[in-house]
Amino acid sequence: MKLSTFGFLTRRGVRNLGKHWAMTIACIASLSVCMTLNTFATLAEVNVDSMVNYLGQQNEMVVFVDPAADDATTASVGERITATPGVSSVQYMSKEDTLNAYRGFLSDYASLLDEFENDNPFKANYRVSLSDLSQMSAISQQFQTIPGVYSVSAPVEMTNTFVEIQKVVTKGGQAIIAVLMIVSIITVGSTIRLSVFARRREIEIMKYVGATNAMVTLPFFMEGLTMGLISGAITSAAGIGGYYYIVEASSTFGGLWQMLMGAALVPVENVWLTILTYSLAGGALVGALGSTFSIRKHLNV
Amino acid sequence: MIDFEHVTKQYKHGEKPALEDINFHVDDGEFVFLLGHSGAGKSTLLKLILREERATSGQVLVDGKDVAKLRRHKIPYLRRQMGIIFQDFRLIPTMTVYENIAFAMHVTNIGRKQIKERVPYMLELVHLEDKANVYPEFLSGGEQQRVAVARALAHAPKLVIADEPTGNIDPELSLEMMELLERVSDMGITVLVVTHEHELVHRFHRRVVTLKGGQIISDIPADGRADLDLPLNGLDTTGEITLKPAAEGEEALV
Repeated sequence: MKLSTFGFLTRRGVRNLGKHWAMTIACIASLSVCMTLNTFATLAEVNVDSMVNYLGQQNEMVVFVDPAADDATTASVGERITATPGVSSVQYMSKEDTLNAYRGFLSDYASLLDEFENDNPFKANYRVSLSDLSQMSAISQQFQTIPGVYSVSAPVEMTNTFVEIQKVVTKGGQAIIAVLMIVSIITVGSTIRLSVFARRREIEIMKYVGATNAMVTLPFFMEGLTMGLISGAITSAAGIGGYYYIVEASSTFGGLWQMLMGAALVPVENVWLTILTYSLAGGALVGALGSTFSIRKHLNV
Repeated sequence: MIDFEHVTKQYKHGEKPALEDINFHVDDGEFVFLLGHSGAGKSTLLKLILREERATSGQVLVDGKDVAKLRRHKIPYLRRQMGIIFQDFRLIPTMTVYENIAFAMHVTNIGRKQIKERVPYMLELVHLEDKANVYPEFLSGGEQQRVAVARALAHAPKLVIADEPTGNIDPELSLEMMELLERVSDMGITVLVVTHEHELVHRFHRRVVTLKGGQIISDIPADGRADLDLPLNGLDTTGEITLKPAAEGEEALV
């Protein structure tokens, strides 16, 4: 194909958007609505997942150091815990820290603990958070074997429950997204097919004058690609804007909602680029491929 | 230019063939009318030439090439040797007259410079130079058909196929259209006009191939036509051409 022909057909594809404006609006509207629904379904899934994860993270594992262990052993326990794969954070609590923490819990009755000042019954410990809660049982057993470790307290049952909830939420979310995507593809595909069907005569003429399939397809491909990119931009604006509003609004709700959402909602700055990239790429892909596949049956002239 | 050798086309097994054992040859630069009523097999014959369909048996040669043997991706190159004029014009409504003609040239890979030179020339040829920027809906039927002719000729085809080119225009314009196609033929381009309009055919002294029921029932050469002096009422309604008996001392042509 000559460069001038390529340029002509490409320009024609883009110009067709204006000439067939009603179909263009229909295609862009259906694609934008479907992709926006998908974006919010994905954001909901990501956030529920993040919330469950956040709640799970509150269940720390506590590794108690043998009271007989010297400072070097205590430090080496800390190093080995930190070096263990899957550990996301480690906080050392000396005997004194633990006593002070309990003082804090008792607040007005803190003086009750004064007699433990010289005979502290608490054990130094490491509070360990894991990046993958499902590993808690295995990692706690691993920690038991570290020399200098007295005992490990891990809320395995509780975290297993969270892990199960997370799995259900993730699978449920993915299923909803998959169904929405199928519905989107069918809806968008039908709209594009309708648009192509309305112009089958044009395709026929192109074929009769000797255009190759690539030449016939190119304007429709460009048209679909442009519509997809426009839809992607609309989806990005709606997705990022809408999510920004939700994040902002959730911080003003107060109560349990704020406690949950304030801490667990994924910040906008973490997701906007992903929303933009996926919306543009998804729109371009569905638009371009939708158009290309829709004209295939009309090429047999 | 076109050769049909024992061509039969049957769409469904067990049904009567749309074309049966067709044999005819069209020379380079020849002007031929293909006459026949609806269902005679005219459209099928065109589809075989355009390689929209393949013959069930026999050979269809266009410019010496067996079209049935062409691979699918080669079909556009076969069609670029042809210019096709349709009864319903088939202009793209969202394009101006100029764009409709240029479009056909663009999609056949003709360079921009050549298009800029050629389109105005084609518009001049069909007397539509002042309608270049007009959209088809603002043209009369005759004007639209002339645009279709200009589009068909724009890429300098070797063969022009006109499928019922006068079907949607009035009789006076039909004559003009046929005269235009005659001029095209005089330029050395092979012209095949498919029609069912007997009266029109008999105003022009050109070769007439008549199809009926999927078979060629007569093939009257152009030179023979000139001598025959066929009266218009000599045509019957079956699509067959009835000839006056040969005068004394003359040889019957069919």
